[in-house]
Amino acid sequence: MNFQLNDEQAALVSAVQEILQDHAELPQSARIKSCWFNANLQQLLTDNGYLNVGRELGPMEAALVSIEAAKMQALTEVAVSALVVPALFGDEVIEGPVAIVNGRNLTQAHRNLPIARTALVDLGDDVAVLPIQAETVEAVPSIFAYPYGRFKRAPDLSGARRLRCRSDLLRHWWRVALAAESAGAAQAAVEFTLNHVKQRHVFGHPIAAFQTVQHRMVKCHMVATALYFLSLRAAWSGLSYDANVAACYAQQNVKKLVVDLHQFTGAMGVTNEFALHLWTYRLRALQSEAGGVVEAALDVARDRWSVEQCTAPIAQAATGVK
Amino acid sequence: MEFSWTTRQLEFREHVRKALDELLPRDWDEVYVPQSYASDAQVEFSRTFCAELAKRGLLVPHWPKKFGGNDADDWQHFILGEEMKAAGEPRGPQYMNVNWIGPVMMRYGSEEHQREHLQGIASGKVIWCQGFSEPGAGTDLASLKTRAENRGDHYVINGSKIWTSYARKADWCFLLARTGPGRKEISVFVLPMETPGISVTSFPGLIKDGHLNEVFFTDVKVPVTARLGQEGEGWKIITYALSYERVGVARYHAGLEALNLAIEQLKKENRYDDPVMQSRAGIIAAQFEAARLLTYRVVDQRVHKIPDTSEANLCRVASLEAVEDLMDFLVQYVPESLAGGNALLEDYYRINIPAGITGGTNELQLDLVARRGLAMPGRA
Repeated sequence: MNFQLNDEQAALVSAVQEILQDHAELPQSARIKSCWFNANLQQLLTDNGYLNVGRELGPMEAALVSIEAAKMQALTEVAVSALVVPALFGDEVIEGPVAIVNGRNLTQAHRNLPIARTALVDLGDDVAVLPIQAETVEAVPSIFAYPYGRFKRAPDLSGARRLRCRSDLLRHWWRVALAAESAGAAQAAVEFTLNHVKQRHVFGHPIAAFQTVQHRMVKCHMVATALYFLSLRAAWSGLSYDANVAACYAQQNVKKLVVDLHQFTGAMGVTNEFALHLWTYRLRALQSEAGGVVEAALDVARDRWSVEQCTAPIAQAATGVK
Repeated sequence: MEFSWTTRQLEFREHVRKALDELLPRDWDEVYVPQSYASDAQVEFSRTFCAELAKRGLLVPHWPKKFGGNDADDWQHFILGEEMKAAGEPRGPQYMNVNWIGPVMMRYGSEEHQREHLQGIASGKVIWCQGFSEPGAGTDLASLKTRAENRGDHYVINGSKIWTSYARKADWCFLLARTGPGRKEISVFVLPMETPGISVTSFPGLIKDGHLNEVFFTDVKVPVTARLGQEGEGWKIITYALSYERVGVARYHAGLEALNLAIEQLKKENRYDDPVMQSRAGIIAAQFEAARLLTYRVVDQRVHKIPDTSEANLCRVASLEAVEDLMDFLVQYVPESLAGGNALLEDYYRINIPAGITGGTNELQLDLVARRGLAMPGRA
């Protein structure tokens, strides 16, 4: 058990932060949008191998990169490419960005579909791998801070490549990815709001001086911090229980975080220009993914209390599952 | 960063579990645990149990060798705490001795204090109580009124303490008393409970017997050597002690064990087929896992000698949220267990009624994280 980044992990985080910081500033034109995908940054991260760290260094390192990328106001697709794709495809390279599509609602709008080059369609048992042509997708306006889009015509999956019986694996790493992405967005949103409440004065005092604000900010900070460690543990262990716990915690707790952070930033916080929504409405979007909190919680229950439990002894000890 | 136990830590955990199997009486779960760890029966049992633990090197392994420990790291101490808590805390009040009273003695005690007390604590036969709270001073400890008047070669103590767990059976009291008019002019005294002028009265309440005692000090005369540290240094000492107390109890471990028990009962009665209930249980488990990792981070910081700003307070907040959710779950899904149906669950519920109060209220923990951890300004 060691909660400190080792030298290699610290160097990785520092290196990716350096690239991300060069793109931290939102262009003026992006300030009125509900989301802003930075294609240049996506390419830079790809070219520099950051989406490949899952293969080269491991899922924990992929989660660290995903968390850092999710702290940015500018959107990139990192978590699915870095965490889900290596688990499903091994060393095979899949063209990104990658979207995950619920096969039961194929005609609905899907997160990241307008920017995706590949879609992984969750069919319940199998996963269909669908190359995406930009002209087959139409953008859908959404409150969520991701590009949403739907297929202009329902894709024909009969000829698509199928990964047999890989839906569980997809869902497992999808949960790790959404937890890591939530952790980064939550940390950034809390820090951003914390700065705001320290600077903004009401009734002659900084907002941050009011005890009710302090207590609720601490709880937001607690959620973001716990989520950081839960998502890293899930990436590190590869255990179903840890992935389900991380997703369940994220999807259950971001609601109070989103509500309170917008509460404390007041009317400013509901404007696109203020840009808090670029994190909070990503959190909201992720809240319903991979089955949402109820399915994640049911899977936690299954892992803990069904007859078929996790069996790896080291992992059991690490998580406390007995 | 990595989240596995070392082989040595796994072996240590097994060693602790084996010791528990061997040392706990057969009727432990049925007879002792339901009475609560503050009951007279458990307090007395702890004197023999902890003495046996001590012989096996399992009472204070994390203490320095010169004080009877084995220089083990904080992880071993925590693994020990997790297993003890999950077993119903058979160390009784002595968990306090090893968690913080001993470390406080090591840091602030005179050589005489260390000689007199550390060996006793490490032998597992001594019971302490903490004389902190008063009827008018709980979380706001600095407003305490019990006074120790310095009369040259001795002090005379007058006042009263309340909510003093284990006081009926305790050998020693770790007492906070005012030694000056300033708000924080407080000192720490260690005194035998048999000192003339000390009396104890118990009263009933929502939590189990043994916790709710009032201790009266009437013209209690103690030598100057009973003072721990310098006069007026009590606030510093107690801040140090409470930082140990806040993460000293593995609440997530006991909570998950209680949740396991509730699910076991529901399964036995063929009531474990409600997906709403299952998902609520899953969410509670996730809350406890979050508290677990926040707590482990504090232990890790200690191992790495990283100063604790407010991380220990944050894990108390996280644990409490999970505990409250679990208590609600028990009432909703296994209410009969709180009415004679399951003594272990009833004990868990009752012992946690003041979980947001003991060791400093939840609001105080939140204040401390806001101030120290998030650098938020003083109150408006």
